Amino acid sequence: MNPLRTLNRIFHALPINLALIIMCVLWIVPTLGLFVTSFRDREAVRTTGWWTIFTPQPVVGETEYTTYCASCHGAKGNALPQANLSDPAIVNKYQRDYQLLAYLKQPINGQPHVQNPALPGNPNQSLPILGKILVYMQKLSSGGAKGPSLTLSNYVDALVGYKGTNSYLQDCASGNTAALLGLNCTASDLTSPAGMGIAMLNSIIVTVPVTLLVITLAAFAAYAFAWLDFKGRQWLFAILVGLQIVPLQMALVPISRLYSAVGMQSTFLGIWLFHVGFGLPYAIYLMRNFIGSLPKEIFESAYLDGANHWKSFTTLALPLSVPAVASLGIYQFLWVWNDFLVAKIFLTSHPVLTVQITNLIDPRGSNWNILTGAAFLSFIIPMVVFFAFQRFFVRGMLAGSVKG
Amino acid sequence: MSTFSKPIIALVVIALLAAACATPTPAPTTAATTEAPTAISSTIDCMGAKSGDTLTLMYQWTGSEEVSANKIFQPLVDACGIKISAESTRDAAVLDTRVKSTPPDILFWPSSSPVSLYQDKMVNMTTDGADTANYASYWIDLGTFSNTLYAIPVKADIKSIIWYSPARFQALGYTVPTTFADLQTLVDKMATDGNVPWSMGFENGAATGWTGSDFIQDLLLTLQGPQYVLNIINGTTPYNDPGVVAAYQIYQKWASDPKYTVGGANGTLNTSFLNAIYLVFQPNPEAMMVKQSGFAGGEIATQFPTLVYGTDYDFFAFPGIKGMQGGADWMMAFSSSNAAKAMVAYLTSAYGGKVWAQTGFDESPNKGANGNYTDPQLIKKAAALASAQGFTPDLGDTLGEPFTSAEWTAIIQVVQGTDIATALAPAAAAQKQITGK
Amino acid sequence: MMPAIMKQGKWAPWLYLLPALLIMALFIAFPTFNTVVLSFMDRTSTQSAAVDCVQGQPCWGIFENYRYALTNSIMLNALSNNALWLILMVPGTVSAGLLFAVLAERVRYEKIAKSIIFMPMAISFIGAGIIWQFMYSITSGGGQQTGLLNAIIVGLGGQPVAFMSTYPINDFCLMIVGVWLWTGFCMTILAAAIKNLPSEVLEAAQVDGATGWQTFWKVMVPLVMPTIVVVTTTMTINVLKVFDIVFVMTGGNYGTEVIANRMFQLIVTDTGRSTAIAALLIVLMIPVMIFNIRRFQKQEEMR
Repeated sequence: MNPLRTLNRIFHALPINLALIIMCVLWIVPTLGLFVTSFRDREAVRTTGWWTIFTPQPVVGETEYTTYCASCHGAKGNALPQANLSDPAIVNKYQRDYQLLAYLKQPINGQPHVQNPALPGNPNQSLPILGKILVYMQKLSSGGAKGPSLTLSNYVDALVGYKGTNSYLQDCASGNTAALLGLNCTASDLTSPAGMGIAMLNSIIVTVPVTLLVITLAAFAAYAFAWLDFKGRQWLFAILVGLQIVPLQMALVPISRLYSAVGMQSTFLGIWLFHVGFGLPYAIYLMRNFIGSLPKEIFESAYLDGANHWKSFTTLALPLSVPAVASLGIYQFLWVWNDFLVAKIFLTSHPVLTVQITNLIDPRGSNWNILTGAAFLSFIIPMVVFFAFQRFFVRGMLAGSVKG
Repeated sequence: MSTFSKPIIALVVIALLAAACATPTPAPTTAATTEAPTAISSTIDCMGAKSGDTLTLMYQWTGSEEVSANKIFQPLVDACGIKISAESTRDAAVLDTRVKSTPPDILFWPSSSPVSLYQDKMVNMTTDGADTANYASYWIDLGTFSNTLYAIPVKADIKSIIWYSPARFQALGYTVPTTFADLQTLVDKMATDGNVPWSMGFENGAATGWTGSDFIQDLLLTLQGPQYVLNIINGTTPYNDPGVVAAYQIYQKWASDPKYTVGGANGTLNTSFLNAIYLVFQPNPEAMMVKQSGFAGGEIATQFPTLVYGTDYDFFAFPGIKGMQGGADWMMAFSSSNAAKAMVAYLTSAYGGKVWAQTGFDESPNKGANGNYTDPQLIKKAAALASAQGFTPDLGDTLGEPFTSAEWTAIIQVVQGTDIATALAPAAAAQKQITGK
Repeated sequence: MMPAIMKQGKWAPWLYLLPALLIMALFIAFPTFNTVVLSFMDRTSTQSAAVDCVQGQPCWGIFENYRYALTNSIMLNALSNNALWLILMVPGTVSAGLLFAVLAERVRYEKIAKSIIFMPMAISFIGAGIIWQFMYSITSGGGQQTGLLNAIIVGLGGQPVAFMSTYPINDFCLMIVGVWLWTGFCMTILAAAIKNLPSEVLEAAQVDGATGWQTFWKVMVPLVMPTIVVVTTTMTINVLKVFDIVFVMTGGNYGTEVIANRMFQLIVTDTGRSTAIAALLIVLMIPVMIFNIRRFQKQEEMR
């Protein structure tokens, strides 16, 4: 291997790699933010940015502690055995600055607790100081420099469908069964009716048939639009393009009325048909483009070999448009997987993932943090589908079939 | 959702037993009014509903709120054997679709606005067995449309209150104001001390501004009184009346100046209403007070579990207010099936009010709830509600669209510094369009 | 159109089309007809829209809801915003998607890179809202910035920016979310088309000594053009219908209103206006439909 040539190649490939990597970084940063957040508790999320778990945080309150407390309690807080500030049991008695202030006002052995220097007499000045000292004392009592505290609660709570105000793991640990509502802290909770396990199954039952149906029906229709001749073809195709703009919200009331008239409310059949209906215009439009751009010659030669339309559809058009089918399949899957409104309205009895998760969130959204864990749990299956379908993006299927 | 697992049933029974045990037996007095313990089945009137009858419900309660609601429904389920099938949604489009195809038997909604949209499909609450004697007349008036009682409040929350930390007030030498002049003095004193008095953040996505509308209505109730607010609702007082402008002037000053509220105008516009609550009670607080409905207590307890109600956080009535502003979840019926009647009769009965209070799912406007609260916070809120001289619902909710969004837009603009008269004009036009005056 | 030598039965096309046509007729065409009818009625769909006319003010009679859709100040804001979205986001997503699809083909980490661009769409279930809050949020009080952009700005010594409530920055911020979300879609479809290109043609170009840039513009782009048009059409439709990003992040406040958000906000409280806006969307599609028909004909003439 010639090192100069290798260097030359790397140099030439550099702009491409640079462009790709910059774009990937820009694209992944927001998602990374959510990913990091999904392991943090919500008070931490509220007060500090997600990236702070990667960066050293400034130490709060050390100066104030050193000024007012270190002379007696020591730099590590453990100089006085009877008032050991590295003991969480003592420190946790003071959650807020005013509690500490009230305590410090009590004299010790007839002397002011804090002297040399004394705290400012005006509470407007002393409270902020004590607030910082409290933060520092928390740090001392929790064993000094500890890594950022991460939690799996957002995932676990979503998975089991926890509806309390604390967290599933904490309630299980403390035996707080009243808040657990039928969850019993065993593996069976993974299949609890409010959890994500059952909802994921429902989502799959909704999504897979819809994706298959849309692809099949669209392929048939697209072949007709591309290679068959019939009256009104152009007009029908124009209408098809236009139908893509129709907002599905417009169909909710009429279709819901129809379903209740024929007894199809909250059935899988009902939601399948609805999704297929709204998936088809785009699917046919996309497939017609791919099937229509296949070279005419391959169909002609097949015909000369004795193939009819059915045969050329199944043995030529379909196999040759596999990349199109794959990309269509990915998105059709994804749109149905992420749908909330249609599932909410047409499948009340079997909540899908999106519906199930919204049911866990309090009306004012104070436990929104569950969404972060739920998002990544829900994210797994579309990503699996994406990787699985990428296999079909292969070059050279049309090799040798092209005119001149 | 609709199926109750056995542990829940067990829990409710335990909860009821515990509540019964917790009530100390009063010493026998001459006029003993203690009711004899009655079996649930004789307290609940099933209105002819038979075991296995189904009842479809729709409500906005999710998460822990839905759990509380289920606890309240359980005695009815146990007594009559009806099967409840409930759907929870906050989405008005879902409600709309249901009502226009398969309406739920009973609807619970945080305003009575569905009545104006679906009145022709609704059932008179009185014929469905509502016991109106258990409600103050102002509640009945608010639920009456075209001389028919279509809505009954089941859950109420008071809005005209201010949350603060008693211990912090004490440490800083502040006292709870009792008149509006006191409040203004206190706010200015805090500002002079370098303490930001208010946390007014009101960001809430498409509903941004509603917290501001509550604040302004409290100012109207304080400066003008309840009749003035009712006149805005019925259209006799336009929403750009000098009295409204005066309230907006005070609000604009407080909500857009960083001396008075956390982060000034940008803070008000971009801080979520939940975070606005937390900012007052976090370890290094950024403000002294937040004006928010009763639900704030629960949010504080959830976010900061170590804080103690009564010392670390508490509330006082909006100083000098002449009447109380409140919100309610309303019960409306699309069916007069026996099961629907049983639910209406149960929740409007004195016993239903008692169960509601014991469950501790906010306050119940039902008089049967009085004296049955166990949570000190709810007892205080219920007392405030019971002693309210005039009661006004949220004027934005009551007037409905397009006023509601016009009002929120006006508030946003005022905080951004738009001239008040200019900002109020579209809201006044929307009010005129609705009331026709 | 079929090659001239291939014969077909008279009913054959309809056998291929019928299942799809029936389902679409029921689920889209029928509700669309219903929508148009409702758009001429009042807010509760009980009387003609003309009853909403106020004396002494402009009135379009039965077209009163369309007067709202075309002249109301919020709708004008929405229409101009949608135009801006079209101008910026459609070319943005299509060109970024094409560039990425072409470049990624030439590196070994193609699959990983593509999945990173695809990811936003896969996670959109909780709405891009929460994700971008960690980018755009502003802390106005004394606390730390929890939004990455403001943290960087403050770290560099600047003043934090209220990205969501400052017009027109907020509009561009929302469009960035849109580009982030939809580029993966354009990339996937275009990558499928590129993979379908006969490799001989590309190789031939390289043998002829064309640079990568020339191959891209002179060979690849023309060959992929039909798919570029398809993706552009689809993105145009998506942008006309854009709603969730705006709804979640600003609720349409602060001058960021878009057509579909207005439609959705009014769907319950004012069915007449809401359906008129939906009908307006369909009308806006007519140029796109005509353009596609022309292209359809051209493609068939060429083959």
